[in-house]
Amino acid sequence: MSVMKLNVIDLEKSEYTGGKSSLCPGCGHDQISNVIIQAAWENGIPPEGIAKMSGIGCSSKTPAYFLGKSHGFNTVHGRMPSVTTGANMVNKSLSFIAVSGDGDTASIGIGQFIHAIRRNLDMVYIIENNGVYGLTKGQYSATVEKGSKKKKGTMNEQPPIDLCAMAINLGCSFVARSFSGSKKQLTALIRAAMGHRGMAVIDVISPCVTFANNDESYKSYNYVKGNDEVLHLVDYIPHFTPIEEVDIPEGEYDDIQMFDGSTLRLETVGDEHDPSNPVSALAAIHRAEQENKHVTGLLYYDGSLQTADESLGLTETPLSELGQHELRPSANALDKVNSGFRGS
Amino acid sequence: MEMHVKMERICNDFTINIATANGTGSQSSNLIILNSMFQMGVPVSGKNLFPSNISGLPTWFIIRASDKGYQSPGDKAHIQVLMNKDTWVKDLENLEPGTIVIYNEDVKLPVDRDDCPSFGMPMTKMARGINPKLARLMCNMYYVGALAHLLGIDQDALDSAVESQFKGKEKAIELNIRAISEGRDYAAENWEDEIPYSIEIRDKNPDSFLVEGNEAIALGSIFGGINMLSWYPITPSSSLAEGIIKWLPDLREADDGGSTCAVIQAEDELAAAGMVIGAGWAGGRGMTCTSGPGISLMSEFIGLAYFAEVPGVIWDINRVGPSTGLPTRTQQGDLTMLYEASHGDTQHIVLIPGTVDECFEYGWRAFDYAERFQTMVFGFSDLDLGMNYWSTSGFQYPDSPMDRGKVLRSQKEMDAVENYGRYRDVDGDGIPYRTLPGSGLDPILYRGTGHDEDGIYSEDPDVYYATISRLKRKIEGARDLLPEPVIREEEEQQIGVIYYGSMENSITEIDDMLEATGLSVSTCRVRALPYHSEVEAFIERHQKVIVLEINRDGQMYGILRKELPSHLVPKLHSVAYTDGIPPRARVYADMILDTLEVTV
Repeated sequence: MSVMKLNVIDLEKSEYTGGKSSLCPGCGHDQISNVIIQAAWENGIPPEGIAKMSGIGCSSKTPAYFLGKSHGFNTVHGRMPSVTTGANMVNKSLSFIAVSGDGDTASIGIGQFIHAIRRNLDMVYIIENNGVYGLTKGQYSATVEKGSKKKKGTMNEQPPIDLCAMAINLGCSFVARSFSGSKKQLTALIRAAMGHRGMAVIDVISPCVTFANNDESYKSYNYVKGNDEVLHLVDYIPHFTPIEEVDIPEGEYDDIQMFDGSTLRLETVGDEHDPSNPVSALAAIHRAEQENKHVTGLLYYDGSLQTADESLGLTETPLSELGQHELRPSANALDKVNSGFRGS
Repeated sequence: MEMHVKMERICNDFTINIATANGTGSQSSNLIILNSMFQMGVPVSGKNLFPSNISGLPTWFIIRASDKGYQSPGDKAHIQVLMNKDTWVKDLENLEPGTIVIYNEDVKLPVDRDDCPSFGMPMTKMARGINPKLARLMCNMYYVGALAHLLGIDQDALDSAVESQFKGKEKAIELNIRAISEGRDYAAENWEDEIPYSIEIRDKNPDSFLVEGNEAIALGSIFGGINMLSWYPITPSSSLAEGIIKWLPDLREADDGGSTCAVIQAEDELAAAGMVIGAGWAGGRGMTCTSGPGISLMSEFIGLAYFAEVPGVIWDINRVGPSTGLPTRTQQGDLTMLYEASHGDTQHIVLIPGTVDECFEYGWRAFDYAERFQTMVFGFSDLDLGMNYWSTSGFQYPDSPMDRGKVLRSQKEMDAVENYGRYRDVDGDGIPYRTLPGSGLDPILYRGTGHDEDGIYSEDPDVYYATISRLKRKIEGARDLLPEPVIREEEEQQIGVIYYGSMENSITEIDDMLEATGLSVSTCRVRALPYHSEVEAFIERHQKVIVLEINRDGQMYGILRKELPSHLVPKLHSVAYTDGIPPRARVYADMILDTLEVTV
């Protein structure tokens, strides 16, 4: 008899899975969905406490393929952040895990992306970035690198929008880049993002196997494998695992404490990267860009920022749970309003 | 001009037009006149015709006193106040003979109308005597004093109007009262002639006060339990959002001192609409307010709310379109857009208040309808109702508890529903049950794509048709649960006039003008779309029906034509006109008479 493995809240992993994917076989997005399932399960988040959010596009279809026990909202193109904002305002106890694409985030939804960061909305914002519009059959998106070439058509001549650099410039509280093929790194970063309070942006390079997985595409599987500039090795230590029981790495490392008490351990490889310094984070991005490489890891972190709901001074109870007693002022209050107008 | 010794006295029945420049503080002076007359019990209305500008462009304020209760701007000015050099010549040219002219002598422009009794005062010079720095603002208080003298406005009423205008600012109250008194004294000492117009005290309903429609909606929303306001500034709706922000701390603080309503100034109207949908999806009462351009931008999201069945409230305070149009003028030009906003087949509930009392009432009811029907509900007001001051005897407390609609909040409630599916019509009223994120109850992925009764993605033709047919049935079912029309019916049932919204303020006068020609006229004010069955019955009972509205194309007329049984359509005749100015009774009455003549 096999013993099913349970997580810290005694749930099997199957409680976190979703429907069957309808994406192309081998799509990087499906690997990310698997990591989201793994991360949520390992972190022991109650599925009913999660809200899955997405916009429109290949990536935005994926919430149907993970966390089937969680409510979700596949909204409209590029406007997932505003729907998430409204939901977050009325129920701040939900854990928002959002998936978007490069078309969704870097083009039609760039304004909402920027303003969600500016408000420090309490959410995990995963960009499944492949540099092309898949559902409309392979047009370039705004994150494609200058000089990169997809399977069909001409080379891209326009400079890319780097969503991580943009997020850092906007003061985003958690900014990381990863690769759908780097399961360990991605899992640790998503787990840490789930433990973060505030806006966590993870830009995940996720090859489009149908339209841009040729070697001349800078977001192809082979290209990323050969040009991944890893900032550090990341290891996630959940709050329910005593940190003293975790093996201490041999080399230098840096521990970053998340809001929920968990730790993201960054083991130095090569040059040390200080994720609290936006200048070195931007330098790392631009250096890699100059060499046509992808820098991955936790780029920037600031755990001290107020979130959108905190800055509004909302009452403790989520607003969606308030009833008439709290939401409708008394008849006496209306009498006072009326007398105030009468000047009596 | 020689004044006749025997002058006809006209009491509480005249119109004052005050021409000033925007940003000179004249709105304060105008409201002081309006409020002091109101305090004296005179039925009075005020219309602010202001430009899209912060400072410098011309603005006019029209005050009408009418014992008959007429509230539309009068057809002509009986008293013209001239303060603005830029419009001086044209304002003078337009006057009918006999109009009283009060003017600021220091503008140094000629008043060359021998047929109009004219009264000059060195207003700027006198204001400089009080405070040279504030002279540009203070000079407007002198025409208040001038009018107080000529019309006989009570000093007590003036004092109290000044005090409420400058609440708590003692220095401002003192300076302004002084300026008004100087104006009154100057007029008394220097102007020998009398004018035929005067005001007389009437029994004032001690409960009545003046308020803007936008503030009434703001208060109504707060009593309706709004808990997420997202908004993007746009004239003429900004004062609605700002009204909510102003009143929230007093009215909606929780026991722990925190707020029970999140307010977010959005990055644009698209985001504002998205936030409303997010709030509604998560179980909150989300609302935004905007004007026509904002609705255009929100349209994609409105379709999502309709199709995914998410409650939310959007108030449209209509201004003149299309495009940027006349952003500070009034119109009923957005009705069709609201009713059918977004691509594909859609139909939305639209609440149409015609009074400030209804602004308050629909402010709270909108949330009940939104949650009951799980859809986007529109409130439809306009600049005239929203930003001008209207009389009420006080807002009425909601007479029914909050209706949170068909939300399943526990497993027990879920078990009581047979064959639950998010989009399954279990009760046969087209309205399915829903569960909220966080509840763990039968979660689904909400989507704007085609979906079956369980919320699963579907492109099946039969499933799609069943879904949009049920949606149609759901909104149809709202018809007679929405506010019924207000009908004033004559026995003869000869002519019926259907109208809505801020036309309420002109209808009495229009009706009197029509009846003065011997016609028998019934009126029917539509207060919601889809329109109530009583509207159809009204049309059925009358020989000819005019659909009267403040737009070019006859938008309500179009909706009625489309939805009425075809045998009623020939009875309908459209009378639609718009020029940005609140409806003047004479214009619309003449158009109705012309239309009736042609269609005899």
